[in-house]
Amino acid sequence: MKVNPFVYEHTEKLLASRRDLRPTFHPGQCIEPEAEGGCGVTGFAANVPVSGRHIFQPSVQMHNRGNGKGGGIAAVGLDPASLGVSREILEDDYLLQIAFLDPGVRPDVEEKFIKPFFRVDASGRVPAMADWRDLPGLTVEPPEVWRYFVRVKTEVLQHFIQRHQLHGLAWRRVEDEFISQNCYKLNQTYYASLGEKKAFVLSQGRNIMILKIVGYAEEAALYYNLLDFKAHIWIAHQRYPTRGRVWHPGGAHPFAALNMALVHNGDFANYHSVSEYLSQRQTYPLFLTDTEVAVLMFDLLHRIYGYPLEYVIEALAPTTERDFDLLPAKRRNIYRWIQTTHIHGSPDGPWFFIIARNDPEKRRYELIGITDTSMLRPQVFALQEGEVQIGLLCSEKQAIDATLSSLAQEDPRICPVADVYWNARGGSHTDGGAYIFSLEPHNGRHVLHCYDKFGVPKTLPWHQKAWSGEVPELLPERDEELTAELRSLLADDTGRSLYTFLSQRLPKWYYANYLERLQVLTRLAQENDQLKAAIINGLTLVNDRRFDPGDKKRSNIIRLTMDALTTIFRATPTVGEEHPSRYRHLDWQSRDRLTGPPQADAVLVLDAADFPPEGDDCDARYQVQAYHLGWKRFLVYGYRGQRFTGCGFGLGTDGVRIDVYGSSGDYLASGIDGMEIYVHGNAQDQLGQIMKRGKLVVYGDVGQTFMYGAKGGEVYVLGNAAGRPLINAVGRPRVVINGTALDFLAESFMAGDVFKDGGFVIVNGLEYDERGRLRRQATPYPGSNLFSLASGGAVYIRDPYSMVVPEQLNGGELVPFTDADWQLIKPYLQENERLFGIAIDRDLLSVDGHLRSPEEVYRKIQPVKLAILSKIEDAWE
Amino acid sequence: MSLLAEKIYTDEGPVAIGPETTGCRFKNPLSKYRVIRNEKKCTKCGRCVEVCPYEVHSWGGQNILRRPLSYRCLGFKCQQESFYCIDQCPENALRLVQNPNYRSFGDKRWTADLLLSTWWMAEFGTLPYTDLEYRIGDSGGGFDQMRFIFPREFKDSKLSHDEISLDLVLNRRADGRPQVKLAVPWYGGGMSFGSISLHTMLARTQAAVKWHTLTCTGEGGYPEALMPYDDHIITQVATGLFGVREDTIQRVRVVEFKYAQGAKPGLGGHLLGDKVTPAVARMREAVAGSALFSPFPFHSVYSVEDHKKHVDWIKEVNPRCLVSVKVSTPTDVDMVAVGSYDAGAHIIHLDGSYGGTGAAPDIAKKNIAMPIEYAIPKVHQFLRQEGIRDRVTLIASGGIRTAFDVAKAIALGADGVVIGTAEMVALECTRCYNCESGRGCPRGIATTDPEMTQLMQVEWGFNRISNMYYAWVWQLKEILRRLGLKSIRELVGRTDLLVHLDYYDRPVEDDLRRGATLKGQQ
Repeated sequence: MKVNPFVYEHTEKLLASRRDLRPTFHPGQCIEPEAEGGCGVTGFAANVPVSGRHIFQPSVQMHNRGNGKGGGIAAVGLDPASLGVSREILEDDYLLQIAFLDPGVRPDVEEKFIKPFFRVDASGRVPAMADWRDLPGLTVEPPEVWRYFVRVKTEVLQHFIQRHQLHGLAWRRVEDEFISQNCYKLNQTYYASLGEKKAFVLSQGRNIMILKIVGYAEEAALYYNLLDFKAHIWIAHQRYPTRGRVWHPGGAHPFAALNMALVHNGDFANYHSVSEYLSQRQTYPLFLTDTEVAVLMFDLLHRIYGYPLEYVIEALAPTTERDFDLLPAKRRNIYRWIQTTHIHGSPDGPWFFIIARNDPEKRRYELIGITDTSMLRPQVFALQEGEVQIGLLCSEKQAIDATLSSLAQEDPRICPVADVYWNARGGSHTDGGAYIFSLEPHNGRHVLHCYDKFGVPKTLPWHQKAWSGEVPELLPERDEELTAELRSLLADDTGRSLYTFLSQRLPKWYYANYLERLQVLTRLAQENDQLKAAIINGLTLVNDRRFDPGDKKRSNIIRLTMDALTTIFRATPTVGEEHPSRYRHLDWQSRDRLTGPPQADAVLVLDAADFPPEGDDCDARYQVQAYHLGWKRFLVYGYRGQRFTGCGFGLGTDGVRIDVYGSSGDYLASGIDGMEIYVHGNAQDQLGQIMKRGKLVVYGDVGQTFMYGAKGGEVYVLGNAAGRPLINAVGRPRVVINGTALDFLAESFMAGDVFKDGGFVIVNGLEYDERGRLRRQATPYPGSNLFSLASGGAVYIRDPYSMVVPEQLNGGELVPFTDADWQLIKPYLQENERLFGIAIDRDLLSVDGHLRSPEEVYRKIQPVKLAILSKIEDAWE
Repeated sequence: MSLLAEKIYTDEGPVAIGPETTGCRFKNPLSKYRVIRNEKKCTKCGRCVEVCPYEVHSWGGQNILRRPLSYRCLGFKCQQESFYCIDQCPENALRLVQNPNYRSFGDKRWTADLLLSTWWMAEFGTLPYTDLEYRIGDSGGGFDQMRFIFPREFKDSKLSHDEISLDLVLNRRADGRPQVKLAVPWYGGGMSFGSISLHTMLARTQAAVKWHTLTCTGEGGYPEALMPYDDHIITQVATGLFGVREDTIQRVRVVEFKYAQGAKPGLGGHLLGDKVTPAVARMREAVAGSALFSPFPFHSVYSVEDHKKHVDWIKEVNPRCLVSVKVSTPTDVDMVAVGSYDAGAHIIHLDGSYGGTGAAPDIAKKNIAMPIEYAIPKVHQFLRQEGIRDRVTLIASGGIRTAFDVAKAIALGADGVVIGTAEMVALECTRCYNCESGRGCPRGIATTDPEMTQLMQVEWGFNRISNMYYAWVWQLKEILRRLGLKSIRELVGRTDLLVHLDYYDRPVEDDLRRGATLKGQQ
């Protein structure tokens, strides 16, 4: 590989300039990292500045990922007016935010670390609430934060250059390094070296700021008056430190390096190794958390070594196994060098980073999400295109939805449903496990681009336009006309006639045409139960099925449909009320009035919005209570990540059906035995753990560790599964996944013999395009671990081009697909057709327009008896 | 009721329980000494039967002398006694030797003495009168190097055993969930159906019922035979999730999450195909004969907020259960404990490195986790610093072999302990290390083979474990009496009562047999 001698020399010089930073350790002193728990992370980037209040709702909805002992937010691309400085100062000066745990040291700090070196263009105390006790959540007084807009004095920098022989480096580069070293020294003096911690630098860099608090993240926004503060990128973090008493937010995220802020969910197993790697490069952690070393790693690789983002990501999350082999030769060569050099600095263990940074050289703001190679932490990305472009990434999908709902309330151009949601595949050759949302100025405004580690852009169809927010007025004669038109469709209470009608016309319609009909339908639904059922079912099909939306966005159609459904659900008589309808409504206010069903086929419409996500008062407990009172049909909407839907009903719940709308939460359908759950949309993590029997249908994607330890059940997933689906499943689970899985599908699968009532997974490897047409995914299974260590069951994979290779299997073997196999899986594919409209002949058995036999399309993977194990087992026979 | 009955304090008030003598299942119990009768010389005069007060010799019928019950023999120290049968035999037909077997069984931790004295307790409920070391093993470290220093005035202690309580409350969170109170400061650790036989499980469970404590199913399902004893069962949710169903979670008062085992942290479980009999397979909903893996981590839990979610899930499924979190002892076990408390656990169960059956690899047992005597004080003190020590129950396990170990663990800072191997020993386990193979257990304890299971009957096993419990209760009360403590709770964290022999060279006398009278009353 060619090395640019200048780059190398400059890097060496910069590192050499740090020599005298080495902290002195007393002999025998043991550096113990602070134990870090897990966390909730969220972030978004928008092409228009948005106010800090929108980080509020997602933060609140992830309280259960923190414990209120540390929260923080960071913002990039700030609004100069709210800071009281000119745009030039904001963009050219370094913004230093310093937290004074002991306000008395401020003059001292300024005297030693600010005034001698910097030209201070503006400074002041960061505004905060008058009395921190007004925020009931806070138990510790937040530090006094001061901000300074500074440039390094010319003579100071010249001296610095002279002293460290940094001639030939760009002025800014040296200035950056000076700022960074000065912050380090400040932290060393007032934070790390003292028994008592007095002050530390919260953030350093241009056009970026960080605020942290001992409390929940949104309390930082409240306390420091950021609700109306505008910025392009916001990130937030809920911390879950396991040490009990925390009196200062030094250990909270985000952590800062020059021009960047990083939040992190997870922890490293090799903290000491990474620290050692850093200290060999004159970089020393002071806060003793793994997040700090992560930010230092990134800064070292990117700013000092000058690696492009792709290589930084590779050094952090190396591409391994088969994915490495599938890289293009040129990349493989470079990556091999990167891995050889930096593997000791690569964080090992579960982690997901969200990084917000400003790249002043390239004049862009970036929001980056990187997942570890094994994807051990949950992560969801989302993108919304339109006049307002928003990129989001989060620990949970529900927090993305919360952000969008919050934004939509302020700006009608924003839709509460993202255009696309996806997961990154860690350390992969496909997307590299990282996505970057980059905001660049273009003709006076910012444009958002989204691309993966390799620079491949994530794009959405340009011709699909968002709803303008206009609601057509419905004149009486038009109303009558539409009523007549729709009423004829509603005789069919399965809603299929209504759906067929709507889906056939929607490609051509304007939003207004659809909205008119939704208004009529909303009204008709109140007339009687028969109409209500037909309309709910019909609109639910619009929500569930994929069809050509024409020049409209599917996300907007979903949003309008869900709005109509929500209105219909809300207009249901409350529980306990005397009413001819068989529908009853229950919400947080009316929860104590829950009584038995008015008739056998009664439907309980539950508004979950205000219920806590877990605990004795969560909606799932009320569902159980209702079930014990005799309710069997549930229709739950308004979900905002509430967990455990369907859990706790006990055994033998046949005849129970739950329909789930909204952002449902983790552990849904775990342990169910007999009941049916339909999730109308994407689902989250840990679905169907230990599921025993019953049916789960998901009209979207499912998250991590789907059906872990399941014993049975029939499950249909329209979209993809994230990492580790069906691990350790036994018994007879029978699962159809129409998309694919990120990796580790059916590891340690022990589900018997498929022909003797065992279990299996069917993977179809399909996806929908923007016009609602099914197509093959690039590969039916992209991961390196398929059916590893399995000892029972089988995986059936639709793979007409034989793209799955034995190297992806570890303990499994590809065997011929027989007619017996087809007879076994066919009923499930028929049900799959009924549920999702994915036709066996047209969609599954047709390859490039030609109908094939099942044997040509499907392949079967079954376990091999591992030689080593059978030897042990045989020895005892 | 036996004269020896000990009073324990249960939810339903005090109960007095005595031992039920339950002999060895085998004709010739293992022993430290062997009394050998030379049948050629013996004239069947019956002199030995007359002299021996310990019933080593007995008539088996007219003119038939039974083979001597050597395990009851005092051994060489009997030489000074007037009833020393060897000297008394007119024909010189008797010989006393050390049993060569004695040297070949047991190990440094579970010495032959410890095995023999535990068998003794399981048979009679009393401490052996022979010279068996019943308090400690011979490992040279851990609990074996620790001693209680009893104050001299213990003899004057006015406390009687009846006044001393050993009860252990498990819910200290005051979170509205029901209280679970155990009458003794220990409960049975997780052993799955599959690793041990159903008879063994039932024997453990019935003993738990009798002594108002709990026993754990381990990770292998909830056999129907245990269902009558729901209130005394802890069901385990472990990494393989085998046999975990909503109804099993809903049945019990305590649910245990097994994150790791101290004997083999980071290794998970592996039930060899040989042990997966049709019954085991049915319970775990797997296939007979094919090996079952239990992964090392919970694949759904990679950090503490996942753990909280996991705990919340179980609490949602069973709104009245308490949650125990069983973790191994890594160096940051104190942080793990606080994290578990934050996540809503009622019980933090530390599993140290000494435990584990023969199925756990030796290298793991000896080298990975922190020894329990280090982990307990570390966690206890950290919880105190954090101000939450009184809101969580701290349970220790991993090599608790004797009542002395129980007391030491509690004095180091635990509230109670979990035992496993000790119960197996009460059932005459010889620590032969063949647990992992289905037909390998010569005693029919850790087997799932239907034929070998019949080697042991439930009633017998129940009595044996119960007798051992009785002996432990007696010893613990005696220890407390000598320390002048009225309740086991007063012992928690009293490290001042312990000495470590590495740093203490004066003589220590802690044999409870000396100075004790019936029921310890003066």
